[in-house]
Amino acid sequence: MQAITGDREDRSVPDRAPAEACAIRTVGLTKSYRHPWTGKVVSGLEALDLEVSRGEVMGYLGPNGAGKTTTLKLLTGLLKPTRGEAWVMGESIARVESRRRLGFLPEQPYFYEYLNGIELLELTGRLSGLTAQDAHGRARRWLGRVGLGARPQLVLRKYSKGMLQRLGLAAALLHEPELLILDEPMSGLDPFGRRDVRDLILEQRERGTTVLFSSHILPDVETLCDRVAIVLNGRLSRVATVGELVSGSRQRVEIRCTGVPRGEIAPDLRHVLERRDHAHETVFLLDDDSRLNHVIGLLIHAGALVRAVTPQRASLEDLFLAAAGAAADRTEARDEQRRSA
Amino acid sequence: MMVGVIARNTFREATRDRVLAGVVIAGVVLIVSTQALGPLALGEGTRLTVDLGLSAISLLGLLIVLLVGTSLVAKEIERRTIYNLLSRPIGRPAYLIGKWLGLTSALWVVAAALGLALWTVLAVSGHAGQALVVLEAAYLASLELAVITALAVLFSALSTPVLSALYTLGAYCVGQWSWDLREFAHQFPAPLGAVLGAASNLVPNLPLFNMRALAAHGESASPAHLVIATAYAAVYCGSLLALAAAAFESRDFK
Repeated sequence: MQAITGDREDRSVPDRAPAEACAIRTVGLTKSYRHPWTGKVVSGLEALDLEVSRGEVMGYLGPNGAGKTTTLKLLTGLLKPTRGEAWVMGESIARVESRRRLGFLPEQPYFYEYLNGIELLELTGRLSGLTAQDAHGRARRWLGRVGLGARPQLVLRKYSKGMLQRLGLAAALLHEPELLILDEPMSGLDPFGRRDVRDLILEQRERGTTVLFSSHILPDVETLCDRVAIVLNGRLSRVATVGELVSGSRQRVEIRCTGVPRGEIAPDLRHVLERRDHAHETVFLLDDDSRLNHVIGLLIHAGALVRAVTPQRASLEDLFLAAAGAAADRTEARDEQRRSA
Repeated sequence: MMVGVIARNTFREATRDRVLAGVVIAGVVLIVSTQALGPLALGEGTRLTVDLGLSAISLLGLLIVLLVGTSLVAKEIERRTIYNLLSRPIGRPAYLIGKWLGLTSALWVVAAALGLALWTVLAVSGHAGQALVVLEAAYLASLELAVITALAVLFSALSTPVLSALYTLGAYCVGQWSWDLREFAHQFPAPLGAVLGAASNLVPNLPLFNMRALAAHGESASPAHLVIATAYAAVYCGSLLALAAAAFESRDFK
């Protein structure tokens, strides 16, 4: 369905789908900034190769400053790439036409404060190519859809942060785009707002709309996404389905026992096994399920009664934190190498 | 179509700004108050009214450009409202032209309102026949404001609101002295004189739009003057907007 190139060491990309077949395709997309006075170059995004299929919902994850917003702004024409190319719905991002079938919600959307909700949606509808009449009709409908229809004449300077976020979503969806790019769509929303946004994204997925969204709220990403892409330090670290990510990880196992004698954990197990003594039981947490039989054998041999063995599925959050930690270690090691060189 | 949508919204922004209403009210008060100064003008009351009225159109228009126009694009970048526009299928040149057109339209409405107020005051004092002179002078003042707005859009697209206000004011002052600069260039030998001559051709020729002295004496501008001024304003605004668009095209919105 899609070629994935998350590994920077191997840059060869065999059998790439043509740009028209993908909703988004980037090849070596790079953005760097040069300081105007010092001339120092800072990298925002490095050689991103990414493909998002039509109809897919992809989560774009990464810590602050990883390059998520940079990528989304490059795709929406707000930033110009330093190197590389990208296509949106088969059109090069260098062309204005690439944004015709695109809906974009920036992080913390800002709108003209002198307009009211209806006027803002009419304006955005017109700018997306709708006729005045069509834009007016859709503006009324979408304002109601996002729960703001009760006070259509309220000027935006009186909107709360959550209301602006909802309005931003309506502005992104008004012209029924085929591709939706959302930068932190749940940001600033209360639990009800988050649920509404989740429902809207699910509804768009059912309509066949492609969705690429960045988020820090990983349970939402886990619920909504077909695949996730993890970007760290401006580089794409991994692209996979949530299932692949989770099943590919070592599974943690919890073992509950009683009658465990006091004593030290065997040296060869110390780095994978953690012991927690409670009033009525002892809980062992085993990081590597491949050694489960060995550990249970040892416990039985020591006279313990094994009462429960529970596999603990790693959440996307655990995997993300592990990946971020590993990337930070790699960067530190690289810096260390450079210093010693 | 996109230019029209942006222009309409910019016009709406400018006309909802209290600055514009304040300036129009101040202008009308100034024009009406010239009647009170009439007895002190030793028979030159009409001349004073026309001169002050036309000056009000130019200077209050300049004030609006400095207060609103110089932050036209920079404010949108600062407040990030531009994200919602340029992430849609609209070219950056169309965006800039729309901004210029919207504010220029608002300024023309102000010029028309103040021109009408001036003519009304003249008509009440028995000089209704000066309508054509006032109309021509207000038209030329409007062309001047269109040129200054194009300068403001250029500077606003490239720098902060404060700096673009300073640059626009500087360009306005130099433009007012462009004929003096041309004369000054003749006083110098070839290399420096040529540079000054070229500079005088590059800065906006604003005296071309000033017919206050003529109007104060009740004299009309020639049709040729009106045509040349119109053509000059069109070419100069077009060049400035093309320059702004070229510089704006590669700009990043972080």
